[in-house]
Amino acid sequence: MTDLLERGGVRVRVGRVSSDGVPPLGGTPEPDDAEVGRRFAAGDEQALARAYERFAGQVHGMAVRAFGPGPDAEDVTQQVFVSAWTGRTGYRPEQGPLPAWLVGICRHKIADTWARRDRQRRATEAAVTEARSAANTTGPQVDTVVADRVLLLGELEQLGQPQRGIIELAFFEDLTHTQIAERTGLPLGTVKSHIRRTLERLRTRLEVDGAALHA
Amino acid sequence: MPHCTPEQLSLAALREPLPETDRAHLDGCAECRAEVASLRRGVDALAVPQLAAPGAAVLPPPSVWAGIAAATGVTTAPRPEALAAAAPPPPVAVPPAPAVDVPPAAAPERAPAAVVPLRTRRSRLLLAAAASLVVGVGIGAGAVALGTGDDDGLAVAAAALDPLAGSGASGQARVVERDDGSRALELTLDAAPLDEGYYEVWLLDEAVARLVPVGVVQGGGDTTLELPPGLDLGEYPVVDVSVEPLDGDPSHSGESVVRGVLES
Ligand SMILES: [Zn+2]
Repeated sequence: MTDLLERGGVRVRVGRVSSDGVPPLGGTPEPDDAEVGRRFAAGDEQALARAYERFAGQVHGMAVRAFGPGPDAEDVTQQVFVSAWTGRTGYRPEQGPLPAWLVGICRHKIADTWARRDRQRRATEAAVTEARSAANTTGPQVDTVVADRVLLLGELEQLGQPQRGIIELAFFEDLTHTQIAERTGLPLGTVKSHIRRTLERLRTRLEVDGAALHA
Repeated sequence: MPHCTPEQLSLAALREPLPETDRAHLDGCAECRAEVASLRRGVDALAVPQLAAPGAAVLPPPSVWAGIAAATGVTTAPRPEALAAAAPPPPVAVPPAPAVDVPPAAAPERAPAAVVPLRTRRSRLLLAAAASLVVGVGIGAGAVALGTGDDDGLAVAAAALDPLAGSGASGQARVVERDDGSRALELTLDAAPLDEGYYEVWLLDEAVARLVPVGVVQGGGDTTLELPPGLDLGEYPVVDVSVEPLDGDPSHSGESVVRGVLES
């Protein structure tokens, strides 16, 4: 964790492939990440393979960090690329680079996997309760945080820039508002008011839908 | 003083340090504290290490691309050499740690664990969460001490163990070093007892790609596990507890219930 907390720069490492040892196809130079992103959104299959070459390691690294090496992590990585490809028209190059978009999808898949496990846990507990015919009317509890995560990641998707970038730097890169201002070049006051509005928005989402979900 | 500004309360929800006047007010004002707490629910849900920006890259096995190709119908394929250039080879489990009765005298003089100093907000919080373990911080000869010495040895690192995948489990771990140089991992695991299988403790590297098995524990109790002499905690700083089925397979099941990073 310290590793990712301490690295500077835009964190999604662009796994640029050095040209030696990897001959360009048909003599054409390797497309840069932005070009891969444009072709990906346009449905060029070659771009999916290029995106996988460059970013699958980052995505799988996140999945392995969450679930350990094994089938769960592999499922998440696979789902990220399948969802990205089938939903490629939703990728907006002007909203950010392709790897950042893939990382966002990966967060969803990780949160979805937690939620699925929680549902399975409750189903198992319910079955056990029933088998014991216990007079327990409450039933197994939803893991609130697990449910909150799925809800709030969806809410982050709705944010425009720069709000979304700002809150992601705070949440996922552990930057202070001062560091965010330095990184983005935005005034401190702007960063603070965006943070305020986003946290209020997340709170509202939890009050409105979180409560219903947990009822 | 008047209430803290909404902006300052948001920063407090993010656990940024506040100016002294705001901090003093917050200490005495239930209203402002309630506001921070209500904003913090979102922060706590999302600002977790598992969702943080990508760390070390891990090369997925070939079956992952095969699944993608099958699901999407694409006929292209990534070039293996290009993949390998962007990510290290897949996780390799290191051989099991040597038996604990290896004579410590045979171990070469160990370099002190290369421990990363605490700089960030969240790392400090991790430490705060383990505050009951931390008696004092002092810098000794090469080692960063985390506690006062007692009969069990000197605590040289500690970790709060956070739940994974909504497991509901939690725990704390610390590494103690005794006068003879031997080290042990003291673990408190608050987890449901298992009807089948067992909990196993591992030390992982930060990429969660290499791991050393440390021993078997019960949920809901304290356990002391000897650490192999020569094991570099700087290289394996992540404490992980997994649920292992009784299937005779010595590798990690992939089902972790808690995890935390040892900090000195
Ligand atoms: Zn107040």
